[in-house]
Amino acid sequence: MKFFLYLKDHVFFLVMIVLIYFIFLSFMIGFKIDFSLQVCFSVLYFLLFIILFLYDFFRKYFFYKDFLEKLDLLQEKYLICELVGKPNFLDGEIFYQALYEVNKSMNENIRDYRSKINDFKEYVELWIHEVKIPLSALMLYTHNKKSDKVQAREINRVDNYLEQILYYIRSENTEVDYIIKEVMLSKVIRNVMLKNKDVLLEANIEIESDVANISVLTDYKWLEFMINQVISNSIKYMRDIQNKKIEIKAYQQDSFVVLEVLDNGMGIPESDLSRTFNKTFTGKNGRKVPGSTGMGLYIVSNLCKKLGHKIEIESQEGKYTKVIFTFNKESFYKEVQ
Amino acid sequence: MKKILIIEDDESVRSELKTLLSNAGYQVILSEDYQNMLDFIIKTKPDLVLLDINIPYMNGEVLLKNLRRVSNIPVIMVTSKNTEIDEVLSMSYGADDYITKPYNPTILLLRIGAVLKRSEKVLADFLSYHDLVIDIKKGIVKNGEEEIILTKNEMIIFLYLYERMGSIVLRDELMTELWNNDEYINDNALTVNISRLRSKLRELGIDEAILTRKGQGYILV
Repeated sequence: MKFFLYLKDHVFFLVMIVLIYFIFLSFMIGFKIDFSLQVCFSVLYFLLFIILFLYDFFRKYFFYKDFLEKLDLLQEKYLICELVGKPNFLDGEIFYQALYEVNKSMNENIRDYRSKINDFKEYVELWIHEVKIPLSALMLYTHNKKSDKVQAREINRVDNYLEQILYYIRSENTEVDYIIKEVMLSKVIRNVMLKNKDVLLEANIEIESDVANISVLTDYKWLEFMINQVISNSIKYMRDIQNKKIEIKAYQQDSFVVLEVLDNGMGIPESDLSRTFNKTFTGKNGRKVPGSTGMGLYIVSNLCKKLGHKIEIESQEGKYTKVIFTFNKESFYKEVQ
Repeated sequence: MKKILIIEDDESVRSELKTLLSNAGYQVILSEDYQNMLDFIIKTKPDLVLLDINIPYMNGEVLLKNLRRVSNIPVIMVTSKNTEIDEVLSMSYGADDYITKPYNPTILLLRIGAVLKRSEKVLADFLSYHDLVIDIKKGIVKNGEEEIILTKNEMIIFLYLYERMGSIVLRDELMTELWNNDEYINDNALTVNISRLRSKLRELGIDEAILTRKGQGYILV
């Protein structure tokens, strides 16, 4: 708050003060009051108002300066009322009280929504677990009746979609529900491959896996989901190609472990490459292949962020797509612990 | 015949599981008396328990904890709750394996087989089949002085058939077993591997070792 602006705001008072002064002055001249008394009165008159204005200005100046500075520094700006003391002037008090009330009602509103969202998340998670039970029965039934492979495949698809929403919820959740421990990459790859075995065999996709005895620090289930998403994508975007192949490779590099999943599918156009991790982005390939939701890689990159892994995509349209995970060896988690 | 107890509160899953395990040659016992389940387990002494985490009256994890105080019967936890925390907890309570729903039946059978084998602790290094001696560690089949080396894939196939000698083994089972050993081969390669295994056995004097059942699978006789 600048003094000049303050005066501008009080221009009406200033005009009145000067006007009244001139009325007094004309009276004093009219009543032929002694000149030295006139000077004395004028000085006192203006001094009084200067003091009054300065007092009022500084009272407000210190409060608002403090208020604006703290507001600027604060990340959660809605907490400003907790940081700033009550002002000692009337309009400030009213303003402060109003701000306090507005904040309170907004917080209640947010809390309401937050708990509604949490309830919803919990319900969806519960629902997914419930739905998996009849799905299991169906899978066993299909197997026992030696039904067509199509049925098993469709059940698998339903299961994949269920996993996707489950991990979407987990990735958006602020609560931590993962455990970091040493995970053998070969075990994760094996389980993902077994899960997709029928589809991979049917599509006649060759698998080459060379992960040796490399292990990484991660949450086993999350990593399994992530790799499953990547492999599912490879399968999905590998139509009408001869000699389909997925190559999985892992190696150590300095203090990192790198895991690469390379396929010779349709690749990603350069213009779409930077947006592949965006939510609901499907791009040019999404229009070619049905069932693209644009959620898979978004969820995967979110989970990676939470676990402290890095994920990148390299691709050349019509040639290959390579998804690269980089895992930090120990140091990251030692710091956290 | 191995006896497996299924503790599962969903009726459809339970009955389908029973069919699956019976077809696979196991004796299946069931009980719905969840309150006295511990006594039932101790009384019937199954070779393996398939335990669902969400059962009435008593949580599956509590039952497992109580069971571990008195017995070390192999237990496979089955659940639809798919988090690492649940798995780590179950394993710390003494579960031998942890499988999440919906499970692929072939993989379920594989895991059951693995847990049963582990509990027997008889992992022989040598097997005998007709006049042959199989050296698993070296990957060699011998008939007297004659020796033939089996590849890793051929050995996996032979061992799987050997353990189920006399009963039909589906192609899908063999494929699952191979993939479970990180050998991600395709249909053609499986056919090639089996015919190569056949001709190797023939060279050692066993002509009709692996029979083909059209549309079903293979039998080792």
